Amino acid sequence: MAAIDVSDVTKQFGGVTALQNLDLTVEEGEVFGFLGPNGAGKSTTIDILLDHVRPTAGSAQVFGMDAQNQSVAVRERTGVLPEGYGPLGQMTARTHVEFALQAKRVDGDPLALLDRVGIAEVSHRRVVDFSKGMKQRLMLAMALAGEPDLLILDEPTTGLDPNGARAMREIVQEEADRGATVFFSSHILEQVEAVCDRVGILNQGHLTAVDTIDGLREAAGATGQVQVSMDTVPDGLVETIEGLDGVTSVSITDGTLTAGCENRAKGAVVHRCYEAGTVEDIETSETSLEDLFVSYTGGGA
Amino acid sequence: MSWTAVAKKDFQDALRSRAIWAISVVFILLSVVIAYVYGSFSADELGIEEKTAERLVFFLASNITLFVSITALVIAYKSIAGERESGSLKILLSLPHTRRDVLVGKVLGRGAVLAIPVVVALAIGAAVGSALIGAVAAQALLALLVVSVLFTFAYVSVIVGLSAMTESTTRASMLTIGFLVLFRFLWGVVSIGTVWASNGFSIPDTLPDWIFVVNQIPPSGAYTTLLYALVPGQTGNAADIDAFYGTPWLGAVVLLFWLVVPAAIGYRRFSKADL
Repeated sequence: MAAIDVSDVTKQFGGVTALQNLDLTVEEGEVFGFLGPNGAGKSTTIDILLDHVRPTAGSAQVFGMDAQNQSVAVRERTGVLPEGYGPLGQMTARTHVEFALQAKRVDGDPLALLDRVGIAEVSHRRVVDFSKGMKQRLMLAMALAGEPDLLILDEPTTGLDPNGARAMREIVQEEADRGATVFFSSHILEQVEAVCDRVGILNQGHLTAVDTIDGLREAAGATGQVQVSMDTVPDGLVETIEGLDGVTSVSITDGTLTAGCENRAKGAVVHRCYEAGTVEDIETSETSLEDLFVSYTGGGA
Repeated sequence: MSWTAVAKKDFQDALRSRAIWAISVVFILLSVVIAYVYGSFSADELGIEEKTAERLVFFLASNITLFVSITALVIAYKSIAGERESGSLKILLSLPHTRRDVLVGKVLGRGAVLAIPVVVALAIGAAVGSALIGAVAAQALLALLVVSVLFTFAYVSVIVGLSAMTESTTRASMLTIGFLVLFRFLWGVVSIGTVWASNGFSIPDTLPDWIFVVNQIPPSGAYTTLLYALVPGQTGNAADIDAFYGTPWLGAVVLLFWLVVPAAIGYRRFSKADL
């Protein structure tokens, strides 16, 4: 059974279409990265899964339960870190986690959860004084309460410093190892690359791609490039390299030859340069994730 | 019963608010002053026929409706609309609570926040007043507490219900202030206007019996009338009316209406809304 099954969902707010015929399946145990520029419809999709928003057409299921009619049952099995949540209330961090445990009707150690997200030492402080990063960690602790089968994290690294973002990724990995399904939205591809089994890219309410990151790279035709710095670039080298199998483009700037090519052709490019003259340096790179993202979202990011 | 958790959180959050403590102190002082005045002045000075322990109840009750209606508005008009606007509701509703849990929890949580100072102030006022006049009307004082608590929850329920009808705090404030102005300050005009209009646009020499019903519509009118039903030896003006509705128990019906109906309508709209 799929953890999440969104079937032909359309959502309009007034006359504005937020989602258009969205189909999306996330398997149990999967870490799924839900990507898209701001305003693509990521939060609307999550809101439909949690019954905060009702679809104009289509339906969504979580663990086979209807997201609208069986919402409480869905949310009993789901831990949520919402996006754009408001003030948390007047109570302490510990009370907040207790509140989440109580709502899930499970026993659990609030301090252990706060310790896991790295804020155990402020468990007795009132959360109104918390920084954005601390609030985000508290919300994660509340989402983790009761070992949910599904974690929905909407832009979880918002407000976190690099350490916090890494801790977040580690927790996602631990939860996945425990067997939980993780649905993780972000507008930053780098954040999902490290942890996600698959990613879906949403753009203007349409799902434009669903694949592994490697698969996306391949499908987008995005390859890599190799840059060879030489003391002088001999005549005829450009033509030689252009003739190599797997090379798509060659250019020269300031004594550096740049070849856009498939990864398997990189060796041959370097070999021909080495034969033809003095090689001072070599750099090789894959297509940046940013380029990949832009290629799917039309530069809308 | 997950509304109890919502109610508890709402109640605890409100206890942290300094404003509610300040309002409570003011209300207790007011109650003591009223009790002192009743205990110290003579019946003539107070403008009543006879100074009894039962009459003390009506003196103490006199400032309840204004205090409760204004305070209920202040503490509850944002209860749902404000949390929708700010996004706090997304936290509550990401947990396995239903929207009904949220609405019922808010009514009970904020109702309790207001009911406690009401009960404390009335109890202190009753103690001071009874000590000064040297007589205790236990049943009447108990009725005062019960009816006041019912009135408090009914009023909070109305305000929370109105707050559930909109996602804008501005609109919530207009709805709730509109309610307060109409039913608290303008109802006399509405009441007499109804008589005037139904009598061919002139005021009759004697008011029709049904005006009694019109006057019970505001929660504050129903509150006083229900007190007459429960305080021994007091009848109010319901006794003058020879019709099936000529009973002070009409106040109970009206208070129950305000307790349930606006909140139910608010819930209907809230349950269908996109957050």
